[in-house]
Amino acid sequence: MLRFDRRLIHHFDWVMLLMLILISGMAMANLYSSTFNGESGVSPIFYKQLYLLVAGMIIVLLCISIDYQEFSTFGFILYVGVVLLLIYTNLFVSTVAGTQRWINLGFFRLQPSEPAKLILVLVLASCYSKTEVKGGYRLRDLIKPVGLTAVPFVLILIQPDLGTALMLGILFVSMTLFVKLRWTTIGILVGAGLTCVGIGWKFLLKDYQRRRIETFINPEGDPMNHGYQVMQSKIAVGSGQTFGKGFMEGTQGHLHFLPERHTDFAFSVWAEEWGFSGCLFFLGCYFFLMLWGIHISMTARDKFGVLLAYGLVMMIFWQAVINLFMIMGFLPVVGIPLPLFSYGGSSLMTTMVAIGIMMNIYMRRYQTS
Amino acid sequence: MKNLRRKNKRRPKPLLESDKKDAGVTKLTSRDDNELDWLRRRAMYASVVLIFFFAVIVSRLWYLQVQQGDKYRDLADSNRVRYLEVAAPRGNILDRFGREIVTNRPSFNVVWIREDNKINDEWLKKITNALDVEPGEILEKIRKMAHEPGHLPVRLAEDINWETVAHIENNRMNLPGIKIEVVPLRVYHYGNLASHLIGYLGEINKKELESAEPSLYRGGDLVGKMGLERLREKDLRGEKGRNYMEVNALGFEQRNLKGLEPLPGNDLRLTLDMELQKTAEDLMAVEDYAGAVVALEANSGRMLVLASAPALHLDEFVGGISHKAWKGMLENPHHPLVNKLVQGQYPPGSTFKAITAVAGLAEGVITPESVIYCPGHYRFGNRTYRCWKRGGHGAVNLKRALSESCDVYFYQVGQRLGVDRIAKYAKLFGLGKKTGIEMEHEKAGIVPTIAWKKKRYGKSWQEGETLSVAIGQGFDLVTPVQLALMTAALANGGTLYKPAIVEEVKDPDGHVIESFRPQILERLAGQGRTLKLVRDGLVEAVNGKRGTGKKASLKDMGIMVGGKTGTAQVVRLKQYMHLREEDIPYKYRDHALFISFAPAENPEIVVAVVVEHGLHGGSAAAPIAGAVLRKYFEIHPRETEVSAVVLFDELLVDASNSKADTNGNLKHEQTVMEN
Repeated sequence: MLRFDRRLIHHFDWVMLLMLILISGMAMANLYSSTFNGESGVSPIFYKQLYLLVAGMIIVLLCISIDYQEFSTFGFILYVGVVLLLIYTNLFVSTVAGTQRWINLGFFRLQPSEPAKLILVLVLASCYSKTEVKGGYRLRDLIKPVGLTAVPFVLILIQPDLGTALMLGILFVSMTLFVKLRWTTIGILVGAGLTCVGIGWKFLLKDYQRRRIETFINPEGDPMNHGYQVMQSKIAVGSGQTFGKGFMEGTQGHLHFLPERHTDFAFSVWAEEWGFSGCLFFLGCYFFLMLWGIHISMTARDKFGVLLAYGLVMMIFWQAVINLFMIMGFLPVVGIPLPLFSYGGSSLMTTMVAIGIMMNIYMRRYQTS
Repeated sequence: MKNLRRKNKRRPKPLLESDKKDAGVTKLTSRDDNELDWLRRRAMYASVVLIFFFAVIVSRLWYLQVQQGDKYRDLADSNRVRYLEVAAPRGNILDRFGREIVTNRPSFNVVWIREDNKINDEWLKKITNALDVEPGEILEKIRKMAHEPGHLPVRLAEDINWETVAHIENNRMNLPGIKIEVVPLRVYHYGNLASHLIGYLGEINKKELESAEPSLYRGGDLVGKMGLERLREKDLRGEKGRNYMEVNALGFEQRNLKGLEPLPGNDLRLTLDMELQKTAEDLMAVEDYAGAVVALEANSGRMLVLASAPALHLDEFVGGISHKAWKGMLENPHHPLVNKLVQGQYPPGSTFKAITAVAGLAEGVITPESVIYCPGHYRFGNRTYRCWKRGGHGAVNLKRALSESCDVYFYQVGQRLGVDRIAKYAKLFGLGKKTGIEMEHEKAGIVPTIAWKKKRYGKSWQEGETLSVAIGQGFDLVTPVQLALMTAALANGGTLYKPAIVEEVKDPDGHVIESFRPQILERLAGQGRTLKLVRDGLVEAVNGKRGTGKKASLKDMGIMVGGKTGTAQVVRLKQYMHLREEDIPYKYRDHALFISFAPAENPEIVVAVVVEHGLHGGSAAAPIAGAVLRKYFEIHPRETEVSAVVLFDELLVDASNSKADTNGNLKHEQTVMEN
């Protein structure tokens, strides 16, 4: 089908693949432990994630086989698609735990807000790579990117999924600050942003979202609910000490003191069982993967490649930072997973595609368009 | 796909070019190239941001895991580890032959650990159904513990039956926080025998809790409230164990962790012989007597019987006594709550004549041959002192005076001695001060002296009062234990032993940590003959034709018993003087006393009996003493018989020895043959 270029294999990104396998291995080991049940043994959740991981690897291969330049064109089609899915989710999907996030595809419950992050990065990279502005972007040059961000942002916010919505905002800011902006533009953006936060706090946030932020500020005031989660997470992390309690030996996780221990709080389980040394190893791999992504961005052959790789790294990076900060008690509980590490198909698939695209960019760094 | 193919076709050429030149060196055109480079530099700056955040995260982890790790490890452990205290089995109480008097049985309590779950209606309903109680009762118990720390269990039900235990165990998953606690409860193998001595347990009260070491007790624990259970609390209580459990976030037990086994209390082996005790108490109960029976070894102070009648119903105290039962005991005219052994003070009556006799002989105011004429009364000053025998005893010597309990004889002896000299001997026999027996609230009794009266009443001594004191009336007061010890000293040649109840204390491993050693309180030296003479008189009192204590005789067993009756006036009221004895109201009737020892030639056992309002020592008290003595000699047959048994045993041993010898010889022969 494709006439495959031999040099593509020559330039294959072995480093990224190695990091991906290492991190996935740790993630699966951790998932095995966090979902293991004393009575029924290995959880079906583990197998499900394992299949998804294999499927993800295939998707990585698919991703690298298409020149990433194609995504520049595809991007907008995908964008329209994901916006439609979000609208569909908001209108027709029944409420789960107070929010509408998942579309049931039978074998898989798709959370359209996850790919929305990736697709936003894609269209923003495409957008910024196409427009050329002398002396930096003016405010009116940003109308298109702002609009592109605002549509999914609002759709996700009303689900309501504050965390992911904010994620989109952060991605927009990261991407926009990356390109050349005029200082006036930056000033206006910052002012507008602060106003939005103020208005949002007063009118847009749901009660439970406000409470989460409040309990973050004073966690002991509400020990059984959200403050409890943060406290238990801190206890789990801290009690891991230098060398951890050992694989499958974490008491906070196995005795259910830790909430959401295979999704948002997966890293707490890791920290408890492997201690500071295990955390250092994991984070070393994890940040190396991201720095490698920056390296890909720096060596990309064109603006789109640079922007896209950078954006994808930012997508992983900010989710990781928010998740880890939450686990360590720096941030309130927001439903942001640790990419590649937390259980969740949509997140895994999205991240795998992102890594696939980065490998794609790396492999084609010597090609000229 | 079409599109793709087109592009791939187009591409090979530039690819080849880039192969020739290094990408970095590739010169691309102008502004586009500059902007790309600019963006690449931006990407490099981004990596600085990444590294910064990496550093922040790692240092936070360092802080949480390494700096504060110990604190969080403790928090994690307190999250998951619960402990329940395991009550230690209390030490057993045995009699001198190792027969169990008090032991334990396991009982099951239902407890709730408050920090494991929050209370709600559904939970409350389930637990009230399981225990078959009113919700209010449960809530009240929880309320009582409101100020205690949350890990301490609340006892919801005590000593539940097996079905309830099974029901709760089966529904563990529906009853979070609920646990079954096993607590040993007391079992009284001899019923209420020796109840005042043993005592009972009760829930620890606030005052006791505050004065005790905090680690030893907590609210709801049972502690000794009376008797040995209280006095020997330190020996009996043992050390609590702890059961550590791992629980999950819902408070359900996951597994048991290494715990601390409870250390059982020490066993007490008493000096008591429960068979004798039973004999004494049964008789007292059958006759519905109130009073006390004391028996002890004459030559050691080991108490064999310590009975206070009526007995306490110990079972009523298990798990807290009811108000009704308590009130009943308080209102009972026989005062079961009073330990008459040491708290009952009685005029010794004629039993005291033995002391007056010893004093008289020792002080030389009489000789055994001294004869005093008894016309049935004795005039002293302007008062007439009567002898109990209206017709008089005629001429009496010491032996007759003792055996027939002639009052006039002792009036005169007393008069010759004076009260202080009587007191001197009474004190040598342990009267007038506490014996130090292991019993609570012991009374000292009274041995009057001139100084005592001055101090007590501010009045000078009347000579006539000495006459009353000489026959054990007047100010004289003794406790049954004092009476018994006095008799023992009389019987053993003048040594007053400290009364002992505990023969030995053994720790759970069987090591003896305390054992009885006789302790001498007083010794009447150099009066062996005196005492022998008095004993002869007392033997005559039991065995003589006209003796007053004939009902304690063991002549049929070939054993000579010495004894002295006593009848102690409670009141001397004119209105009752002419009534028949049976018509006098119970509480004004005379007390009946009897002291005894046997065998007369070498006394081993001493028995003292007090029957409150029993009228006559000879008819009420002596038969009981006799029965106890009889039982004693049934258990310990006389030496003649004993030696016969020993002889027989020796014969058997000889026989088996010779058998062994023949075997040895045979072996020897065999070895010779082999050689």
